[in-house]
Amino acid sequence: MSTTETSRDTLIPVFDVRVTREDLEAVAETLRSGWLTMGPRTYEFELAFAEAIGARHAVAVSSCTAALHLAYLATGVGPGDEVIVPSFTMVATAAAVIHAGGTPVFADIVSPARPVIDPDHVETLIGDRTKAVVAMHFGGYAADIERLAEICRDRGVVLLEDAAHAPLATVSGRCLGTWGLAGTFSFFSNKVLCAGEGGLLATDDEGIAEFARLRRSHAMTIVSWDRLLGESGSYDVPALGFNYRIDEPRTTLLLSRLRRLEAEIEQRRAITDRYRRLLDGSPGLIVPFSDDQVRGSSCYVMSIMVDDDLLRAPLRQALRDRHGIQTSVFYPAIHHLSAYRSRFPGIELPQTERAAATQITLPLFPHLTEAQQDRVVEALRTELAR
Amino acid sequence: MSWTVPLTEVELSEADIAAFLRCLEEGWLTMGPRTQAFEQALADLCGLPYAVAVSSGTAALHLALRGAGLTSGDEVLVPALTFVGAAAAVRHCGATPVLVESCGPEDLNMDPEDAARRAGPRTRAVLATHWMGYSCDLEALDRLCRERGLQMIEDCAQSITARTADGRMTGTVGVAGCFSFFSKKQLCVGEGGMIVTADEELAARARLLRSHALTSQTWDRHLGHADSYDVVDVGFNLRIDEPRAALGLSRIERLHEDIEVRRALVRRYRELLGGVPGVSIPWSEEAVERSSHFGFTILLESRQERDRLVSELVERGIQTTHYPAITTLSDYSEHPSCPRAEDLAARQLVLPLASSFELETIELVARSIVELVATPV
Repeated sequence: MSTTETSRDTLIPVFDVRVTREDLEAVAETLRSGWLTMGPRTYEFELAFAEAIGARHAVAVSSCTAALHLAYLATGVGPGDEVIVPSFTMVATAAAVIHAGGTPVFADIVSPARPVIDPDHVETLIGDRTKAVVAMHFGGYAADIERLAEICRDRGVVLLEDAAHAPLATVSGRCLGTWGLAGTFSFFSNKVLCAGEGGLLATDDEGIAEFARLRRSHAMTIVSWDRLLGESGSYDVPALGFNYRIDEPRTTLLLSRLRRLEAEIEQRRAITDRYRRLLDGSPGLIVPFSDDQVRGSSCYVMSIMVDDDLLRAPLRQALRDRHGIQTSVFYPAIHHLSAYRSRFPGIELPQTERAAATQITLPLFPHLTEAQQDRVVEALRTELAR
Repeated sequence: MSWTVPLTEVELSEADIAAFLRCLEEGWLTMGPRTQAFEQALADLCGLPYAVAVSSGTAALHLALRGAGLTSGDEVLVPALTFVGAAAAVRHCGATPVLVESCGPEDLNMDPEDAARRAGPRTRAVLATHWMGYSCDLEALDRLCRERGLQMIEDCAQSITARTADGRMTGTVGVAGCFSFFSKKQLCVGEGGMIVTADEELAARARLLRSHALTSQTWDRHLGHADSYDVVDVGFNLRIDEPRAALGLSRIERLHEDIEVRRALVRRYRELLGGVPGVSIPWSEEAVERSSHFGFTILLESRQERDRLVSELVERGIQTTHYPAITTLSDYSEHPSCPRAEDLAARQLVLPLASSFELETIELVARSIVELVATPV
């Protein structure tokens, strides 16, 4: 089949990172300066990011997992404490609870059409040992954050946000990641704002910010940049810290890309709107979230859920092999992963299980062309009709 | 402030910068072919079959210890005179660091006899640290490990390519060697680290834990080798990324040359400061030839004298540093003291050193030291 050959030559990846001339120039300047460890560029990026989302403090770290770990520790999560997390998320949301010494408790999502943590289920899970609830904004779409904030306030537990997918996403005009006591962000290579590896903790709370700043660099009371500025005394280490530092080349790249982020998210929204129009009413699949929610979303992931879970694997294979279209799966349910099934047996979360068995992530990046998008939709239609 | 002589400096070549930018331009940023090539380059350098690149030297120690099976309830012998990250990495495994004395002013590294005294029934491993790039007494520590059934993990954060007294490369004697590519290091990329080992199982465990114990990685899925993944342990995100691997790969080509420059500068320091009353210089001429010279360190007669020199040198625009003994840090106040290591730490002064420095820079610093010790207040 000749189209097969053509398709393979022009594979449409699920994500595609484009670094611009300005990005490269900024990074080159940092590399030439010879100062690579956290310093002025990191602090400048932190200020810019905090301002962009309307948070008082931003602490850049090595990854979103690191940010989550620090957020849990700063909240006081330790042995005996429970943290309610969705199971329909990247495994790090739960793993970092265990790193902090706590126990993750898995809540279901509302439904495959609304794959974010279910506030009703959260309410039934809150108990004496619950320290925090994590709202994870799947794909860049807000969890029911206003309701969750109310529940957490009423029950006296901390609300945290895993905003790995959701920089600049909003609800009621307020950025995600600023509703909870702390919000965590990811700059992993396929994210809307990416630098390879990186993360950030945002908070309005001075104490949480201080905690994260100290612990990200081994809880040393003086860091290298202070020394360059003339600090010559000895440092102390008052607590157990980590090397969760980011470095200057990455924060330079992030700062340069942050300037384009709003525009790139607008492009993602337009592409998402178009996907939704083209896929509307397609038999055999659900497109999660509503058209209205696209506006406030960062549109990180374009999800579809197939009606028949047995169809997913052959469909993805056909998209790849016959049409040259890469897809991925976000995410296997955490409570079904071997390491978690053995530690937390017997958990049943029907909506999560349904979503995890049927979700497919379609190609989405700011420079995805209409022609490419048409190819994806056409291929989907063809394969679903088989 | 702007230093006349900073503690160290990093000079990236145009080739280094081009390698980094090319990687960004190609747009694949998460671990992939460049990380694999960087791992292979370090494995080759050490003559070992496995290397696992990670996010930092601390991460390398953490995952090497986990890879060697260390867990809560275990104890690990750690020198009191080293960077606090080493003790932290032991604690990240749930294990307890047991802090050990230094040999003395001739050799600041871990004292094997004191290590033997402090080892107890729960001790499972030794972190053999090569401070400032000078190998510790690996023969004696190796003997101790054999006698007591301990595992030796080498902390080579400062000692890349340094050799032991019997000519072996540091990092190749223990079950694993752990490197740091922090921005002050001989081979630097900003933040980064690596584990090298001959133990296939240790390497596999470290590899799994560095990326959330996922059974397939983004790169595998990009290549179409895997569709989804399972998670078989509670892992971490301790990954490096492609731009940093590209930089490491570019810089490793000049590593031997850079270290020879450092050695020549250290020889000059020793010529100018050897025999100066009030200044003593650890390690022997023979050790200088085997070291990879992360830093050049001298010992003053007292803490007061050291602190006085630090301030006077600041006045002259010369940046120095010193490391507190771990036993003197607030978070370690419950640990039994190590008086010898604490005394050495209090008198230690690390002087400027970089492969981009000229001999004149070293001479300027050394002359300042000579003048300052000769004119006490």
